[in-house]
Amino acid sequence: MLDSNVWGGSALWGGAALCAWLAAAFVGLIAPRPRRHLAAIPCAVGCLLLAASAFAGGGQPEYLRLPLALGDAPFTLLFDPLSRWFLAIIGAVGLAAVVFSPGYLEHLRERVPVGFVWSAMALLLLSMAGVVLAANAIVFLVAWEAMALSSFALVATDHTQREIQRAALIYLGATRVGTAFLMAGFLWAHLLTGTWDFSGWNLHGAAALGPALLILVGLATKAGCWPFHLWLPIAHPAAPAPVSALMSGVMIKTAIYAMARLFVLDGHLAAPALGPILIALGTVSALWGVLFALLQHDLKRLLAYHSVENIGIILTAVGLAIVGRSWGLPALYQLGLAVALFHTLNHAVFKSLLFLGAGVVDARTHTRDIERLGGLIHRMPATAAAFIVGSAAICALPPLNGFASEWLLYQGFFQMARTGPTVGERLCALLLMGWLALIGGLAIACFVKAVGVTFLGSPRSRAAEKATEGTRGMVAAQIGLAFACGALGLGVPLLIAPLSCIVASPGEPSLLAAAWTLPTALLTLAMMGALAILTLAMARLARKNPARRFTTWDCGFGPLSARTQYTATSFAQPTLRLFGAVYRYSIAIEVGGRNRRYFPDSVDVRATHEPYLETRVYAPVLRSIERGAGAFLMRLQAGSIHQYLLHVALVLALLLWLGVRG
Amino acid sequence: MILQLMVNALVVPLLLMGVIRKAKALMQTRRGAPVWQPFYDIARLLKKGETISEKAGWVFVWAPRIGLVVALAAAILAPWSGAPLPPFGGATNYLLVLYLMALARFVAMLAAMDTGSAFGGLGASRDATISLLVEPVMVIGLGALALAAGSTDLSVIYSAPVNPVVAALVGVTLLIAALAELSRMPVDDPTTHLELTMVHEAMILENSGRNLALTEYAAALRTCVLLGLAAQTLLRAAPGFPLLSGGARYAVGLAALFAVGGLVAVAEGVLVRLKWRGIPSFLAYSAGLSLLAALLAVLKG
Repeated sequence: MLDSNVWGGSALWGGAALCAWLAAAFVGLIAPRPRRHLAAIPCAVGCLLLAASAFAGGGQPEYLRLPLALGDAPFTLLFDPLSRWFLAIIGAVGLAAVVFSPGYLEHLRERVPVGFVWSAMALLLLSMAGVVLAANAIVFLVAWEAMALSSFALVATDHTQREIQRAALIYLGATRVGTAFLMAGFLWAHLLTGTWDFSGWNLHGAAALGPALLILVGLATKAGCWPFHLWLPIAHPAAPAPVSALMSGVMIKTAIYAMARLFVLDGHLAAPALGPILIALGTVSALWGVLFALLQHDLKRLLAYHSVENIGIILTAVGLAIVGRSWGLPALYQLGLAVALFHTLNHAVFKSLLFLGAGVVDARTHTRDIERLGGLIHRMPATAAAFIVGSAAICALPPLNGFASEWLLYQGFFQMARTGPTVGERLCALLLMGWLALIGGLAIACFVKAVGVTFLGSPRSRAAEKATEGTRGMVAAQIGLAFACGALGLGVPLLIAPLSCIVASPGEPSLLAAAWTLPTALLTLAMMGALAILTLAMARLARKNPARRFTTWDCGFGPLSARTQYTATSFAQPTLRLFGAVYRYSIAIEVGGRNRRYFPDSVDVRATHEPYLETRVYAPVLRSIERGAGAFLMRLQAGSIHQYLLHVALVLALLLWLGVRG
Repeated sequence: MILQLMVNALVVPLLLMGVIRKAKALMQTRRGAPVWQPFYDIARLLKKGETISEKAGWVFVWAPRIGLVVALAAAILAPWSGAPLPPFGGATNYLLVLYLMALARFVAMLAAMDTGSAFGGLGASRDATISLLVEPVMVIGLGALALAAGSTDLSVIYSAPVNPVVAALVGVTLLIAALAELSRMPVDDPTTHLELTMVHEAMILENSGRNLALTEYAAALRTCVLLGLAAQTLLRAAPGFPLLSGGARYAVGLAALFAVGGLVAVAEGVLVRLKWRGIPSFLAYSAGLSLLAALLAVLKG
């Protein structure tokens, strides 16, 4: 089957999309400066074609074999329901990012070659599609590496700044480590099965665990799962906003795709032990992500930590699916996988929306420090409204899409609590429900902080005072995504069919339709109606007694300034103190002056926290590697040409020997 | 059924507030305002004009409306009075009801931040902290209760047989959680005169007139839902109650609701407000009880 093309709508449209992006990459490089955004057109066309490819072709798998081969692996692309799901995500989020970019890149144009950014972005889109289409490990790795390198180039866009150089290098290092694990895992699986085709990997139980664990580490590094998430909050804020949206919204999800493909579907690497491991990693990741998000005052960094959180939620759902399968509970298996995929889509939509909003703020105020913002809702109303919708969605508030997928996850936990095999596992399931609620509560605290301090109140700096709304393209991209948040929340019944197509193998009954019981669309309609009536009634009352505009209550001390507002630091402080043990949070207050009890001359407050995963675990490990490598590599790289020639000769001799032997 | 719904939505909430105030006054050997006073208050506030901060935008204007609609939805969808629920399909889900309330809180917190008042930010920050502690407790507690019913649908949960010990534990859990969620003693004192010490009142400091009327009414509805659910759960632990049906069940339910309201008033009469940093420890009782309930529900199920 793999040797022949099986053509259909998907393969046709998908191939066209890849060609469009390839064209965009060239156009970006050769476009003259006045037409620097020319590549946006083929980029957008590619996204549309890819979305079309996701919807064309029904549920049948299609193969597209390119006239290339790498070793004994043909360059084959596979279009099946799972990859179509991710193609739709790439197409939709990609389109939003492309529409957003021309307006956004303008503020960088002094420092950054815009055409180059477009080329790299087209390559990123191309390689992401390649990853989810790859039918074998070799093609997968090629696309995976192209994705890593193009996103590295994009993170390094603004490379004249030291901070960004550092971020890009850390990101590059993380991708190297991840790929190394991935390669090792793939090689191991190849050794055991003798094939590079994913469909030929049928390993079960203990045999699957070794390669699966290596692959898991590689994928978790890309996904930004705890404890491999360190690069994520550094690299994502450094990239331009549309690129952050693509990376956070889509790129890290390609790891979820690979997990669904390799660990869950068809049982390619069916190791039941992965289930509890993924649930454990996911729970820690989600809590860690949201706790550290609360600490951040850089808007994009805050959002990046929320990606760690949501990846945790998705991984927990993947783990639930594996657990469900190993317990022989098809309902739990199907629900877990469906939630993972649905939340992947939802997170892609609202997270890219939020990153685009942060991009408008960044482009118009030139700061991402929310302590210097405020009151932007009056100056960028559309961005603020879209950002509020996105925040409500990420906080899983009904009726938006985040709620829909988290509610389904609750149902998954509830089913586990009812039908799990042992008391311990069932109790765990109930606790996981509480855990999800805790994460929801923390996310609400975090986003009330982010929205409240950035968009509400009064401006805390001149930059925030002078800000303006983004261009039409920037606004359109955000509004489109905000509507998608609502539509995905209300249209769950429509998504059951494509999800069933993925989670239930042919001939198996789908148990998803029974799981979704909320009539959210009707309820929302009823509530909108009630809201309309209420608003009319209020308007009637206002006709008799119009509202008066007056200053905010100042306790009679005279006008309030922007500095008397609550800051982000103070907003987060009660929660920080609550979870102080996790942050090693401490606060030192020094009051100075002669009569310091009542009339202090100076008050110095210093709150500190220690990211001790970094300082206690990673830093010593890296230092010792550095020391070892320094001592050893220094000798190899002595700067002597003779020594280098010797290295070359030795390696050549080694390769020759290997060749003769093999 | 429609009549019951109307009574539940329009009469009981404000009456409950009046009864709580009256009971509290009696505790303090005052005569107190008549129990109908909250109705007069709302009517008066609706007639008055409103003052909106210059800095506020649409969030401030729309939040009380959204809050009221959501509270109404929660009051209609949750079986807090013992009256049977109309067939709403699956909408009577407890997670949906809890998350609807979270939506109302989210917009209320944003509205508090919208005026640029430090009180608003302070109240919102504290409210966010309290609710992130309360939410998991309620989810686990009601989850333990739901386990026996095999569904997260409230109308199924409250009509299926349940272990009375689990019901009692969850009932107390919900009661403590409700006190925190509703900003009542000992977590928050709704009658203190200093905004700095408050949670809910600090958040709505800028609301006035009809805006405030909507907020107060929504708060009364939320009080009914949360205290009512706690009362209903506690009633499940009482022998004989599950046998009741129809009007008797409704009457007993309302009586229990007002009894719980009286309990809240007594608590407000004799307790002092906890220090802000003592609140997590107070809520830890609730968390501990919900964990016990979960363990018991899992063992028995």
